[in-house]
Amino acid sequence: MSRSSVVPSYVRPPRTRVLGLPSALWTLLLVLGIVIGIEFYARSGAVSPLDLVPVTEMVSSAGELLGEEEFISGDLVPTLVSVVLSFALSTLIGVSVGWAMVRSQWIRSALQPYLNVFYAVPIFALYPILVVLFGTGTVPIVILSTAFSVVVVISHAVVGFDSTPPIAEKLSKSLSLSHFQHFRLILLPSALPDILTGLKLGLAYAIICVLASEFIVSTHGLGRIVANAYNSFNTPTMYAGILFVVGFALLANVLLGAVLARFDWRRR
Amino acid sequence: MSTAAAVANAATPNSDHARPPAHRHQVDRVRRKATSRPLVAPAVLAILILSAWWIAAFLADSTVFPTPVEAVEGLRNDLRNPRFIDSILTTLRVLFGSYLAAAAIGTAAGILLGLSAFWSRAVLPVVYAGNSIPKITLYPIFLTFLGISDVSRGAFAFVSGVIPMFLIAVEATAGVSRLHLKLAATLRLNWPQLLWHIVIPSVVPALVSGLRLTFGLTFLGLLLAEMFSGSSGLGFEILRNVTLARMENILGEVILIAGLALVPTLALQLLERRVHRRFGAGR
Repeated sequence: MSRSSVVPSYVRPPRTRVLGLPSALWTLLLVLGIVIGIEFYARSGAVSPLDLVPVTEMVSSAGELLGEEEFISGDLVPTLVSVVLSFALSTLIGVSVGWAMVRSQWIRSALQPYLNVFYAVPIFALYPILVVLFGTGTVPIVILSTAFSVVVVISHAVVGFDSTPPIAEKLSKSLSLSHFQHFRLILLPSALPDILTGLKLGLAYAIICVLASEFIVSTHGLGRIVANAYNSFNTPTMYAGILFVVGFALLANVLLGAVLARFDWRRR
Repeated sequence: MSTAAAVANAATPNSDHARPPAHRHQVDRVRRKATSRPLVAPAVLAILILSAWWIAAFLADSTVFPTPVEAVEGLRNDLRNPRFIDSILTTLRVLFGSYLAAAAIGTAAGILLGLSAFWSRAVLPVVYAGNSIPKITLYPIFLTFLGISDVSRGAFAFVSGVIPMFLIAVEATAGVSRLHLKLAATLRLNWPQLLWHIVIPSVVPALVSGLRLTFGLTFLGLLLAEMFSGSSGLGFEILRNVTLARMENILGEVILIAGLALVPTLALQLLERRVHRRFGAGR
């Protein structure tokens, strides 16, 4: 690359390679660097094995956990169930409330100011109340996670419904579609890309909230595994649990992203 | 599913007259009515929720489920306790420090990375992945390395806030208009001048929105950390009251936390509106 150009670098087309490597390879190198760095740091003896274990050991204790019947049925499955339930509920409630807000100006102006500030208030503070009311089972976790993830679904659904082309609205009028037909044939398909973005965020929020509730107060679940292992100084299991959580969150995001991309007509 | 697109294409010019004008007036009137008194509907909703809470508490008629009055009473009792005041001050102090650090470092690092399209593309996927994992489960790592103290809680709150702030700053910087960059090149601006005259004015609107979002996330991170390993602080007070099953105090504290969170958020929202008026709404 010629360095003598008078054109400043900020308007030149971005480089496609650095040191002969494309950006995707640098991403991979960065991840590998972090993993190998932890491995060597843990093996170097500079840190107590009570504080950090090598990545290879984290992976092998994660494998051990997977072999335990109790872990699968007692922790992994309940976490999955909570996430799926909260996600399904917030999808259903979120899109319906979004529709209601578009149909009724009153509902919209009543809800909008609360939706705007919702994520500023740490709604997690309500979790202890739910625990007192419903015990430490799946119910309070699902209620809280649904409430936490539904707002982002609502906001995106409203944006989507609002962006329906006026001409499609007119067509719906001229065909005198019923309210439900209007929703199913006009509003929903037109808002779908925005709704899908909202759902993707909603899933991330649901996972965060489920694991956080399990982590703070609960009797089971992936989050509980990490918290219990920490409290009993079982460092390898703690890191194995964290590895599970990270893998679970990333996998769920990638999978949902792939599924949703199939329905997104804007990207086709 | 491209029904809507197909529908839009298939629409004939005739459908221009589909909506009777009377209906349009009605919509306009409804809209004007709602905007001229923007506080009526939210206030009605608040009253509805409060009365539902009251009726539920009255019907349950239990010692566990308090009425709104009992919750406020519980909060007032708490506020007379010097240890509780201490907890509030601890939380506010730690929150202030970690929020400032998250905002400053996230902004600076984000703008720096955003200036390089290549390195943004290389680094961003890792940061986005990191942002989507439930960070609270990483909190034990903070505890092991930093000990149970305000330092580990503050560090966790900082991390909860700095990642989203960083992502917003990178995206905003990467989105600086190419036309403006070309103008800068024509004027032979050097890097500091480019930053000061082009980049910063373009990213300010997005940064101010980021500041508002980051505040909520930092506060949430801090409360979660306090709930898990507090010796003081609002999160700790709440969880202590759970073991004592003192619902009126928990609800009172929730009201207090909502108040503490809303004041800076509303202030930042005002700032956001002014900045958007001055610099444009960003992208």
